[in-house]
Amino acid sequence: MNALELIDLKKNYGALSAVKGVTLTIKPGEIFGLLGPNGAGKTSIISIVTTLEKPTSGQVKVFGYDVLKDPMETKRRIGVVGQEIVNSGFFDVYEILEFMSGYYGILKNKERIEYVLHKLGLYEHKNKKVKQLSGGMKRRLMVAKALVHKPALLLLDEPTAGVDISLREDLWSFVRELQQEGMSILLTTHYLIEAQELCHHIGIMDRGQLKCVGPTAQIIEQFSSKKIMIKLRTDRDSLTHKNFLRKRDGFFEFHIPSHDSMGNLFRELSLTLEDIDDIKTEQGSLEEAFKHVVAK
Amino acid sequence: MVAFWTLFKKEVKRFLKVMMQTIVTPFMSSFLYLLVFGVSLGAKMNDVYAVSYLAFLIPGLMMMGLMNNAFQNSSSSIAVMKFSGDLEDIRVTPLSSHHILMAMGMGSVIRGLAVAVVTYIVGVIFYFVQFNEFLGISHPFVLAYFVLVGGFIFGLLGICAGFWAKSVEHVAAFTNFILLPLLYLGGVFVSIETLPNWAKTLSAYNPVLYLINGMRYGVLGIADVGLMHSIVVSAIGLVVLYGLAFVALKKANFSRW
Repeated sequence: MNALELIDLKKNYGALSAVKGVTLTIKPGEIFGLLGPNGAGKTSIISIVTTLEKPTSGQVKVFGYDVLKDPMETKRRIGVVGQEIVNSGFFDVYEILEFMSGYYGILKNKERIEYVLHKLGLYEHKNKKVKQLSGGMKRRLMVAKALVHKPALLLLDEPTAGVDISLREDLWSFVRELQQEGMSILLTTHYLIEAQELCHHIGIMDRGQLKCVGPTAQIIEQFSSKKIMIKLRTDRDSLTHKNFLRKRDGFFEFHIPSHDSMGNLFRELSLTLEDIDDIKTEQGSLEEAFKHVVAK
Repeated sequence: MVAFWTLFKKEVKRFLKVMMQTIVTPFMSSFLYLLVFGVSLGAKMNDVYAVSYLAFLIPGLMMMGLMNNAFQNSSSSIAVMKFSGDLEDIRVTPLSSHHILMAMGMGSVIRGLAVAVVTYIVGVIFYFVQFNEFLGISHPFVLAYFVLVGGFIFGLLGICAGFWAKSVEHVAAFTNFILLPLLYLGGVFVSIETLPNWAKTLSAYNPVLYLINGMRYGVLGIADVGLMHSIVVSAIGLVVLYGLAFVALKKANFSRW
């Protein structure tokens, strides 16, 4: 059974189509990166999954339960970290987590709350009010709120927006740990290098449409190019090829599609191994693939 | 049940954390109302239904404080959550609409009850000082009914106002232009028998009149309106308000202001 299934999902806000027939699935225990520029429709999708918004049409299933027909069942399985920081003014960190546990029907949840507080480095701040926390701590509190009930599906909507690199690294390492424990994770982020390292599957959205979806490595291979740098034993002034970029520090640089092989390039250049003194390669990146897909 | 209990506990804890605003300020208002109207002006006024004006005023002020604070509790709770952004928490978690209405409604009843009790204690002290006798409760079960129903109705009204409002200003406007006229014209300070006929007819359509008179019957054993009449009208009011609050919740926007 899929952790999350979107079937021809559409969402209109008046005349604006925010989500235009998106279909995708997230398998149990995987990290799925939903990427896209601002206004692509990512947050609208998360809002529909969490029942904050109703879809105009289409279906959303969480572990087989329809979010419109069985919202209580889907809500029990979901933890969500929203984009905006929440500033509950009256209560301290521990009380907030106790309330969240209670909303999920868990009366005594000390062990889990303390585990999450320790994991997110919030334990020593548990008696502080939200306004006494730094921006990074507030973000961590939001993650803690989403985890008190051990959700099977965690939705992270730009959880690291505006936080420093050290916190981002800590958070991503915790996300990896959660995934290894079996949690399915849907992540939206603008940090594409981190998404590339973290996500098993990627979906790229633009203006409400899901432009491409697939395993991260496959998306990179399909939509980016790799750089090949060749140094010859006998130096030449030039090598004629359609993908030749430039000559720098004695290396001839070529940009070839990621799915193309180096062997082809050598054949096209009529080079043999004996002609080559040194070879360097740089793989394509998710960032490049993203730009390519969004520019299409 | 745990979800209901948690939200109820949160609602009560919230107003206890700002007791100066939620309990002490209403105490001060009751004190001043009773001093100025009940003790000073009341000494110059005729008895109403054979009880002193001060005794007449006490249950009216109790109900006014109860309704006002029950309304403030739920409406300000929602307004604050909309402002801070955590209203989404009660939407994305498995709290049913009935859990939310019952928990916020009961939280409002508790705050209203606290204010009513404080007002009663202040009133009893003033009454004792002036007449050297204790003002007891004539019908405790009737009183309990109207505390529960009155507090719940106004808690639900606060939920409607909180969800309908698009800004804090809207909640304030609801309080000033709808709630306060209903309260002041509901027979807190005067018996409707002393009003001109047209005002008496108009007052009959004010649901607050029945709650105040129910409370007055509970404390003093006398009222402008028959007890059964008050019980039935307030029960209908509760059902209507529950329906309205349910619709308001279903259609509510949980996004941050």
